Amino acid sequence: MRTLTIFLFAIVLLAACDEPIELDINQVDPKIVIEGLVTDKPGYQMVKVSRSVGFYTEGKTPRITNAVVTVEDDLGEVVSFTHNPRNHPDSAGIYLPPSGFVGKIGRTYTLHVNADGKDFEATDQLLPVISMDSLKYRVSEFQVEDPREDGKIYELLMYAREPQHEKNFYLFKFYRNDSLTYFNETDIYFSDDELLAENINGATSPVYYGIDDQAVVEVYSMSRVGYVYYSDLFSILNNDGGGMFGPIPASPRTNLSNDAIGFFQVSAINISAVKIE
Amino acid sequence: MHRFLLLAVFFFLSFASWSQKFTLNGYVRDADNGEELLGVTVYVPQLKAGTVTNDYGFYAITLPKGTYEVQFTYVGFDTRTLTIDLSKDVSQNIEMASEASVIQEVVIEEKAIDENVISVQMSKNTLNMNQVRKLPALFGEVDIIKNIQLLPGVVSAGEGTSAFFVRGGSADQNLILIDEAPVYDPSHLFGLFSVFNADVIKDSELYKGGIPARFGGRLSSILDVRTKDGNNKTFGAAGGIGLLASRLAIEAPIVKDKSSFIISGRRSYVDGFLKVAGEDNLVHFYDINAKFNFRHNNKNRFFLAFYAGRDVFNFGDDFAFAWGNKTGTFRWNHLFNERLFLNTSFIASQFDYKLGLDDVSSGFEWTSDLQEMSLKNDLSYSLNEANEITFGYHLTGRRFSPGEITPTSPESLFTTLKQQHMYALDHGIYLSNQQKLTDQLLVDYGVRLSIFQNVGRGNVYLYSDPRENVKIERIDTLYYDKGEVIKSYVNLEPRVSVRYLLGNGQSLKLSYNRMVQNTHLISSGTVPIPFNTWNPSNYYLKPQIADQIAGGYFRNFKDNLYEFSVEAFYKDVQNVTDFADNAQLFFNENLSVEYRQGKAWSYGTEWMVNKTSGKLTGMVSYTWSKSMRKIDGVNKGKEFVANHDRRNVFNAQATYDLNEKWSFGAVFTYSTGRPISLSEGSYEYGSYRPDILSERNGYRLKDFHRLDLSATLNPRKNLSRRWKGQWVFSIYNAYYRKNPFTIYTRALQDEDGNVIDKDKKEARLIYLFPVLPSVTYNFKF
Repeated sequence: MRTLTIFLFAIVLLAACDEPIELDINQVDPKIVIEGLVTDKPGYQMVKVSRSVGFYTEGKTPRITNAVVTVEDDLGEVVSFTHNPRNHPDSAGIYLPPSGFVGKIGRTYTLHVNADGKDFEATDQLLPVISMDSLKYRVSEFQVEDPREDGKIYELLMYAREPQHEKNFYLFKFYRNDSLTYFNETDIYFSDDELLAENINGATSPVYYGIDDQAVVEVYSMSRVGYVYYSDLFSILNNDGGGMFGPIPASPRTNLSNDAIGFFQVSAINISAVKIE
Repeated sequence: MHRFLLLAVFFFLSFASWSQKFTLNGYVRDADNGEELLGVTVYVPQLKAGTVTNDYGFYAITLPKGTYEVQFTYVGFDTRTLTIDLSKDVSQNIEMASEASVIQEVVIEEKAIDENVISVQMSKNTLNMNQVRKLPALFGEVDIIKNIQLLPGVVSAGEGTSAFFVRGGSADQNLILIDEAPVYDPSHLFGLFSVFNADVIKDSELYKGGIPARFGGRLSSILDVRTKDGNNKTFGAAGGIGLLASRLAIEAPIVKDKSSFIISGRRSYVDGFLKVAGEDNLVHFYDINAKFNFRHNNKNRFFLAFYAGRDVFNFGDDFAFAWGNKTGTFRWNHLFNERLFLNTSFIASQFDYKLGLDDVSSGFEWTSDLQEMSLKNDLSYSLNEANEITFGYHLTGRRFSPGEITPTSPESLFTTLKQQHMYALDHGIYLSNQQKLTDQLLVDYGVRLSIFQNVGRGNVYLYSDPRENVKIERIDTLYYDKGEVIKSYVNLEPRVSVRYLLGNGQSLKLSYNRMVQNTHLISSGTVPIPFNTWNPSNYYLKPQIADQIAGGYFRNFKDNLYEFSVEAFYKDVQNVTDFADNAQLFFNENLSVEYRQGKAWSYGTEWMVNKTSGKLTGMVSYTWSKSMRKIDGVNKGKEFVANHDRRNVFNAQATYDLNEKWSFGAVFTYSTGRPISLSEGSYEYGSYRPDILSERNGYRLKDFHRLDLSATLNPRKNLSRRWKGQWVFSIYNAYYRKNPFTIYTRALQDEDGNVIDKDKKEARLIYLFPVLPSVTYNFKF
């Protein structure tokens, strides 16, 4: 419900005037950024190693291509990740495991990264994910009245059964014809289950679709550590600029050691798709 | 302890009865409407002894047998001098006439020095409501909180907020009272206006230091707002039509000079305009104040006061939220005898908010509220010309309901969830004596005993690490039954004030006070929002304790025409309540793992000149202050500048009565920019480009300054007509300063809001108000 203060901030933005400003800020040293993902689905494992940049630096951030990356599970099995095995020009800084490696539900995975002569480590557990009973769609009256994008007037309806006796955390990703889509660029769709009832009967999507679009929804399970990370990341992406109504933004709490930025996420994934016709 | 205090009091009482002295007492009232006047100086030059009328307009002074000249002085009123033959106890009610000074400066004979110099109370400011009404106001809506924000030692977080910060304290450290009842959120429209309808306010005082023992519960200040009792002489009505809201107040005697009432209402009508414009988003607020008083005889008075206000926001047909305060006060003033005055109040206060989404699949209603009931007994006893004793007992019970979510349809994805209620009992016992040691030296010394109990029913969760907020591990749950004490905190709060008269209308004052706060606002923003909740001190949360010393030099010039003061203070706070970085404060069952308490300290100096009467009145003030914090678990445990630190603040306000028709007002305000954390870098994570932030409050916004102007026109048509109209024109932000409200960052966008370059960031400055002209029509009949 942190969105509440962000919502309030949005009201201020509507009512107020805003203009660009040049910040007079200090130069800071770059930090190591690690984005790791291990899941139970083939093709959904990777580790990306890069560096942070100054606020006014444009373009993609620098990648680290000579890191040593391994993932170890709690049975002691170690998997080495290789830098950009297919030598794809867009995949610099991305490390992949041997094909066939997938995470298993219930296992705990530890990421080791050695970069710039320093060791970084993170641990997370692979928890089961709910499966969606069905995915439907309908015309959204709001989008008909005031479409965000022309023709994108369908919202998805998600049906599922939320297990009430256990604590679950979810991350949602919505794809429109294979491309990851958000209502706002800075949105993250995540939730805990504290307020959720057992029967999810047609929860609506925040992303809208047009006729002939292929809609895909990925639901990721997360540990509480993952939930906390995405919640903090969301706050910093949508902060009101220094604690006027909301909290003073701070760096997201992460499972990475040694002052690295980013997160090592371990998830099970449930994928559902529907074609809008 | 309680019994001991009573014994002490009885000892004083019996001691007093031995001496041969007589008491002069009574009420001081406004001759126009019979309203009691608060804080009137009652002075006997022969003995250099004096007192002030209390919060109910009552005074009592005990003197040796004799004939005395007694002066009654009050800002904005003509001084009255009476000769009293005190050969027995005398009850003398006084009526004072407001100064007829619109045309010429009043030249008066030797006048008693007023409260600024003579009172033992320092660090107190009283708003002059007549002046406030002539000053420019945002959207023409007179708002006392905006005037409070201009006082020396007080800063605001920026424009358009009702939060204020006193001597380095945070916004929740101010006790805001309306007719003695606390108001938990004084904001309308998220702070654009406050809940106080200026039409019904009689008196508002801000105590920043040297806080009397009868007040407790907050660390930094007491804002004591009193509403009018209602004209007990004639029927009167007053109102106004503004750009945003309209007001109407009606007052009349029920039995002349014996009982009267006042009832007033204010409502905004922005929603009306929006409706016409075809908008579905509707916003409105309203306030209702009502008061009834009955003077049974000179010994017994009864009052009943009521306030209710609410803000309602509707977005389309689906999403809505609302918040509001309700308060009620029943008061009985009783004179046991000439010397012993009792005020008994029974007070209730409630604050709640509500959020709701009306939807089949995701409908919910979220409610939260706080209720408080208290009983206050305050007594004052005029022992002799040198001693005035006040003592009392306050009992308060509070119930905190932090949140409850219920689905609004059986299909809803939301489940019912209710956070447990929290209960607290708060006892305050105090005793203080104002004693004249010599003709120059007046001291007020006292102590307040605060006994606080967090009681059941409720669960206390025990954690393997009570400060770990990521991997939370509960190890046990302690259950407390109804009324069972979970945690008690007992604190002694000494209060001392000293005044030394230097002659020539000068005095030196010193004060020390300890304040204890057992209700904590759960907010990590700078400005509280109505959706914040409060927690009592509890198993984990300790009371916040502030010690403040202040000293000052006070001088009046030209028969009180100019009041000057300079004060310096140092405040030290233990256990200031803050929250962990990234704390989750809404609907968190494990809220206690987010608590962080630490040290706060602030110091500064405040300079002020105040011109109280004449054609030109006004105030100029300058404050230098510094406000710091050091809290384990916040900003990595390093000390940091508090969010509301504003190093230099300069304020000037003036009103000028040109003639009977026109008067003018101006307000200029300058302050150092607000501290802010800025983005120093960025990185890539997935498709996001998050910022890397500086350390907490590592930067400052640009300086804030603004000029507002106003003109008041009283058309001089027919003086005998009952209807009196008045036009108030004002210009807010006259020279169009783009005062920074905040800075945020985003990916570079074009004017339509489309992202141009995902990998290029820009910073944006938000400023709230352009030049804002407004006009308000006020009327009286």
